[in-house]
Amino acid sequence: MIDFDLILRILIFPGFTFILLLTLFCDWVERKLEARLQNRVGPMVAGPGGILQPLADFIKLLTKEDIEPRDAKKTVFKFAPLIAFTIMVFAICFLPIDGASVLSTTGFNGDLIVILTFSTIASFLLFLSGWASCNPYGTIGSARVLTQFLGYDIPLFMLALTPAFIAGSLSIFVIASSQTIPYILLAPWAFVLFIIAMQAELEKGPFDVPDAESELVGGLETEYTGAKLAFLHLTRDVQIVFGAALVVELFLGGPYGPVFFGLPAFWYSLWFVLKLLAVVIVAEYITTLFARLRIDQVLSANWRIILPAAILSLMLTVAMVTWVYPLV
Amino acid sequence: MRRQNQTPNSNIDIINVIETKLKDKVQIQLGQLGKAAIVTSNGLHRDVLKAMVEADEKTAIIAITGLDLGANLGVLYHIRTSNAFLTIRAEVPKDNPKIQTVIDIIPGAVFHELEVSDLLGVVFEGNRLPGHFVLSEYWPEGVYPLRKDVKASEIKLNPPPPEEEKQPEYGKIVKIIIGPQHPALLEPEKFAVTVDGETVTKVEPRIGYVHRGIEKAAESRTYLQDVYLIERICGICNTIHACNFVEGVEKILKTEVPPRAKYLRVIALELNRLHSHLLTLGHAGLEIGYETLFQYFWRDREPIMDLIELTSGNRVYASLMTVGGVRRDLKDTDLPKIKTTLEDLRKKLPFYRQIYRDEPSIKARMQKVGVLKREDALKLCVVGPVARGSGVDIDVRKDEPYEAYGEIPFKEIVYTEGDTWARMNVRMNEVEESINIIEYAIDHLPTGPFRVKAPRVVPAGEAVNRVEAPRGELFCYIKSNGTAFPERVKVRTPTYANIPAFLKTAIGENIADVPPNFVSLDPCFSCTDR
Amino acid sequence: MANTITWARVKSPWVLHFNSGACNGCDIEIVALLTPKYDVERFGVKLEPSPRHADVLLVTGCVTQQCAERLKRVYDQMPQPKFVVAIGACACSGGVFAGNYNVVGGVDKVIPVTAYIPGCPPRPEAILDGVVKLLNALSPPKPKKQPKQVKTPELPKEEAKPEVAKPEAVTQQEVKPIVEEAKPNAKQ
Repeated sequence: MIDFDLILRILIFPGFTFILLLTLFCDWVERKLEARLQNRVGPMVAGPGGILQPLADFIKLLTKEDIEPRDAKKTVFKFAPLIAFTIMVFAICFLPIDGASVLSTTGFNGDLIVILTFSTIASFLLFLSGWASCNPYGTIGSARVLTQFLGYDIPLFMLALTPAFIAGSLSIFVIASSQTIPYILLAPWAFVLFIIAMQAELEKGPFDVPDAESELVGGLETEYTGAKLAFLHLTRDVQIVFGAALVVELFLGGPYGPVFFGLPAFWYSLWFVLKLLAVVIVAEYITTLFARLRIDQVLSANWRIILPAAILSLMLTVAMVTWVYPLV
Repeated sequence: MRRQNQTPNSNIDIINVIETKLKDKVQIQLGQLGKAAIVTSNGLHRDVLKAMVEADEKTAIIAITGLDLGANLGVLYHIRTSNAFLTIRAEVPKDNPKIQTVIDIIPGAVFHELEVSDLLGVVFEGNRLPGHFVLSEYWPEGVYPLRKDVKASEIKLNPPPPEEEKQPEYGKIVKIIIGPQHPALLEPEKFAVTVDGETVTKVEPRIGYVHRGIEKAAESRTYLQDVYLIERICGICNTIHACNFVEGVEKILKTEVPPRAKYLRVIALELNRLHSHLLTLGHAGLEIGYETLFQYFWRDREPIMDLIELTSGNRVYASLMTVGGVRRDLKDTDLPKIKTTLEDLRKKLPFYRQIYRDEPSIKARMQKVGVLKREDALKLCVVGPVARGSGVDIDVRKDEPYEAYGEIPFKEIVYTEGDTWARMNVRMNEVEESINIIEYAIDHLPTGPFRVKAPRVVPAGEAVNRVEAPRGELFCYIKSNGTAFPERVKVRTPTYANIPAFLKTAIGENIADVPPNFVSLDPCFSCTDR
Repeated sequence: MANTITWARVKSPWVLHFNSGACNGCDIEIVALLTPKYDVERFGVKLEPSPRHADVLLVTGCVTQQCAERLKRVYDQMPQPKFVVAIGACACSGGVFAGNYNVVGGVDKVIPVTAYIPGCPPRPEAILDGVVKLLNALSPPKPKKQPKQVKTPELPKEEAKPEVAKPEAVTQQEVKPIVEEAKPNAKQ
């Protein structure tokens, strides 16, 4: 028996189409916010208020000529961006968006680790795509991507375990639904550190070294054109949505919020989108307000500040949960 | 940190030093080409330079001019000391144009010698470069464009050279080419940066991508047409180029410019300096990934562009300078508008100054990056904010005041750290000084004519002139032969003198520090290549 | 479908800037387009670092001999569909430097040019105007609007007729007597 409901959930809502539209919308929000912070207006012409601008960028890139350098590794060059995009979308499908995940289940114990691993694999595929383009800028850019995301993965995992510890489970559904008080209030130190580690993991903000145009021309994307470039950009944007969604699920209580009338699924999706936008806006503020750090400063910030702080935060959370909160 | 104007070492009388050391071997013509012109021959010019360098540590070479004198080639060394500005003349025969190099005495002479050998064919023994320096790689050998017998239309180009060596496999990246098309550079130049891991070991420049042959073109246009040509050496510092040329011509003509014209010229020059500094301060933000800073600075630069349009009629190319004064007057009704705009800019300055002084990400990216020590700055003959950021207090507006600068009080900004941060802060503080100068000039604007009529045909003679461009000391040498066309026009731009410093400060740094270091010397390659 | 593709291409022109030997005037005006006063991002224009990502090549400068080969190479690296805009008098024809010994003179001697924006340098408004005209020229013509465009010139005439009529009547009256006076003079 074909489960039409499941297919609709996977393809349209809250599956592929919804995630794609949400990604394009978050891209528009970021561009407008960056423009307004810089005293400008941002995209205005494509659609009302420029809201169709990311869609126009995507369609235009899909229809450009596809050029493959002679020396590039063909298979990796062709498929790495697409596979990275697919993996990221698949990772988002595990998150409860309208009360339950895309697959209509409540997940399983340990799926937090699984989706963090998916994110790492997608970043690794981005590194491979830069390396396969056989361009000096691409090689250096992708080497920087690798060093950066591998380094920041460790504190990220540790900080993601903090809400898991408070909730007592490694299942995202359990963590999201057991937040009667959002964990941002119970463990604010972990929230702040998680936002910073997430910025570094997503190569945003002061940590966007791989994107450094002034040194590396196009970084790992230098040789990509056409549809492959479209998917590289989309993978980056989906990673940002994934990171923000993870923050929402782990610290802000997931999609759960007050239900006023009608379907709880509608309200849960609405709260999810609103909380996601809030996190995206905070991340974009951090990006716009700071200069870019050097790669050695980024790495030393990791090993000297973020990692010890993550360890301390975990210890502090254990102490608070075991001894302090039961008293309150 | 900041130091007030250091009194120059006015005790040294450099002419006396040369006279005592070299007595009858050289001929000293006082008052010619600066304070004095010293006529020497091949080999003796080294002795004169050595004597100067030993007597005064601030001896620096400004430029080397090559001349086509018929049977000989003239080589003029223009030297600057603490309180004097001289020229050493030497001549070599055309059939054997060899002269000894001076780069062991003054390392900053490297680029100047290479250019003269490229454009005129003088061979500097001890300073040879394979291939061309300023000319393109398709240029035929043995043809020297600045010689009188070479015509532009008769030059046959070589076929393109063979392709450069294939890039080594991607495992070991050794040479990164910051090439002609690069998002960091607004202009095309090629820098081959050799790296070892992330550390830079060598930087090899290839300039000449913007070489438009302006010096040769100036010889076939009248003096008035040349004002518009010389102005277009650089779009950013165009007013100062025009002023430099026009002052040189006025020196040959011995024309006295009316006082009102001098003050109007100062206002135009300082507006030019304002917009150029705001441009660089914003561009530096772009290089370190601070787009917001770039947008804010350029937003505040727009009212200055409106002021330039108000005073001259055009947003970028003011074309205000002409031989004998300025082209148009400033209306009294415009003066309050200028003052209000400058007042608005002055209110925003504390915010920007605080950013460049205290902002953590700027300090992280700019402090201790690209350090140029004072001794290196003196040896490499750097000029402008690059020198003033390393503790060398040279500013032509103070050392040899031109136009109305002698009557206007302002501070010379000097920092001693020598790094990128110091250089940007020098420019940041010079913005406020420029506003002060313009306001003083407006308050004390004399009445009277703004222009005198100058003859079209310039009598035979030579003149040298220096002014302070936003990027440093700008120099020109003009030789006229009594016709309506100049015989030789030589312009030495500040970036040309500063690039050797960049090549030195980049070594040993992280590759990621190369863009901020580069922007801090405020490169203008259209000035460099002419 | 084709309309959607053209719409996407017109709404999202990514730009690469190449200086082929310019004095910097035009280049600074191009970079000034990104700043708050002119804000070219409204039109979806992004300044891209790599030739492979860009649709429109903005070239400034009288092409020097050293740059001619590089310009051709950058143009070849761009994927189709691509357009070239020559900005400034130097890029259009060599400008002040035409005829100098190191200058090729004009971008169209090296690569095909789609649009020319003259000026020395052209104001940012002029560059914006040129870019928008290029984008409009790429869009498919919309036949529905054309009759409206033909109608609008008539509307002001109809509205202004009461005002215009009197001066026209006056001049015609003035003209007639002059002509009539001239005739007797001519006969004489």
